[in-house]
Amino acid sequence: MQQSATKYPELATAAKWLRAAWWLEIPLLLAFLVALWGAFVYAPTERVMGEVQRIFYFHVGSAAVAFFAFFIVFIAGILYLVRRNVVWDQLAATSVEVGVVFTTIVLTTGPIWAKPVWNTWFPWGDPRVMTTLVLWLIYMAYLILRSSLPEGDKKYKFCAVFGIIGFIDVPIVWMSIRWWRTIHPVVITSEGANLEPRMSQALLMAIAACMLSLAVLTLLRGAMRLNQLVVDRMAQDVIDSKRSVA
Amino acid sequence: MNALRLIGILAAKDLRIEYRSRHAFLTTLFFALLILIIFNFAFDPGNQSIKDAAPGILWVSLLFPGVIQLNRSFQSEREEGTLYGLILAPIDRGVLFFGKFLANFFLLALVDLFVLGSFFIFYNLTFSTRLGWLFLLMLLVGIVFSSVGTLFAAMVSSVRARDVLLPILLFPILVPVVIAAVNATREVLGTGELEFFWQWLRLLVASDVVFIAGSFLVFDYVVEE
Repeated sequence: MQQSATKYPELATAAKWLRAAWWLEIPLLLAFLVALWGAFVYAPTERVMGEVQRIFYFHVGSAAVAFFAFFIVFIAGILYLVRRNVVWDQLAATSVEVGVVFTTIVLTTGPIWAKPVWNTWFPWGDPRVMTTLVLWLIYMAYLILRSSLPEGDKKYKFCAVFGIIGFIDVPIVWMSIRWWRTIHPVVITSEGANLEPRMSQALLMAIAACMLSLAVLTLLRGAMRLNQLVVDRMAQDVIDSKRSVA
Repeated sequence: MNALRLIGILAAKDLRIEYRSRHAFLTTLFFALLILIIFNFAFDPGNQSIKDAAPGILWVSLLFPGVIQLNRSFQSEREEGTLYGLILAPIDRGVLFFGKFLANFFLLALVDLFVLGSFFIFYNLTFSTRLGWLFLLMLLVGIVFSSVGTLFAAMVSSVRARDVLLPILLFPILVPVVIAAVNATREVLGTGELEFFWQWLRLLVASDVVFIAGSFLVFDYVVEE
């Protein structure tokens, strides 16, 4: 056991992540209950949009978390290229998965809200909507790239490179769609920047709950990935030792 | 030898190979022409709708076939085993990147020129059209396309599914470039003042700088064997 801890240092990291996730589980449950209460009870009903506006809290919360997850992919990618520690790659891969899940949540809650309010399911031309959509495309491409490469340092490097290029694309996407929007007449007006105080408090609760779920999901999935990696390597080591005996 | 000369030698090598086979160039060009023509059947020609769609059709016909050219630039190196030669050669990886980039850029610009001519005929443009500006747009888009494209082509060249993988990786990244190119083209093809054209040009130049720098910085990591 002592020997395997030094031979497979990822095991210790995985154990640490699992322990951290365990500690965060009760706070996550509480945060979600509070955020649900905030969104459905505490926040007042919007005068013009009505009850459907209540989807806003988790919609924006998920968006914030998704952007943050993709920022982690960018940083972890750079760190992997510099340090060549596989833990950074596994963190990046996990963040992509969790980020894509949250982006999908944003892109499905959006139309539910947009149809009754803006009378369109999908407002092509809104910079926030379009940037989210392009992010979804970029990181789905990341997952496809990942699944088509054989395991190893090369895969991790290529994924890190794609994560970096994808992230520096985001501000350019944002600018291009904002200019596009100013040229085309748009029917969409952005939601009021000045939220009622109870609304912004409910929003903060939702963001906190989503952030905590990002942390727990990333830690759990990341630990799972690291364990998987170690198991694969152990199996390979056993095969190699058998071969050298024979 | 200085870096510029080395880049020139590498690019000339690729262009000479391409000149002798003309395989990638002709395939790319033929695919581009096909798209221009197919869209004319998909929309009703002589209708106003095809005029409105023309900028979009032009860019689809340039970008989708361009992937063939990009894939070719590393695929042949791998098949012939010459990539090891390039990696072992005492040259900087940056030189290798710019050599490949320059060859791709030049070939795509050549395709652009032919497509522009066909577009002129098929879509009934007049000589008063600002074709110079249009070609400038093509060159600016070509820089982004070839820089990110060269980087990604080097990445996927070892994968079996590279022909599918390259467009899947490339086009999400190119979304802002497509938006800028199509909208700027719409103004160039119109008869009015070039009102927002300069804004789009600025965006394209900015993405040229960002993507050349970005691809150059990380290229080191994708050609290590």
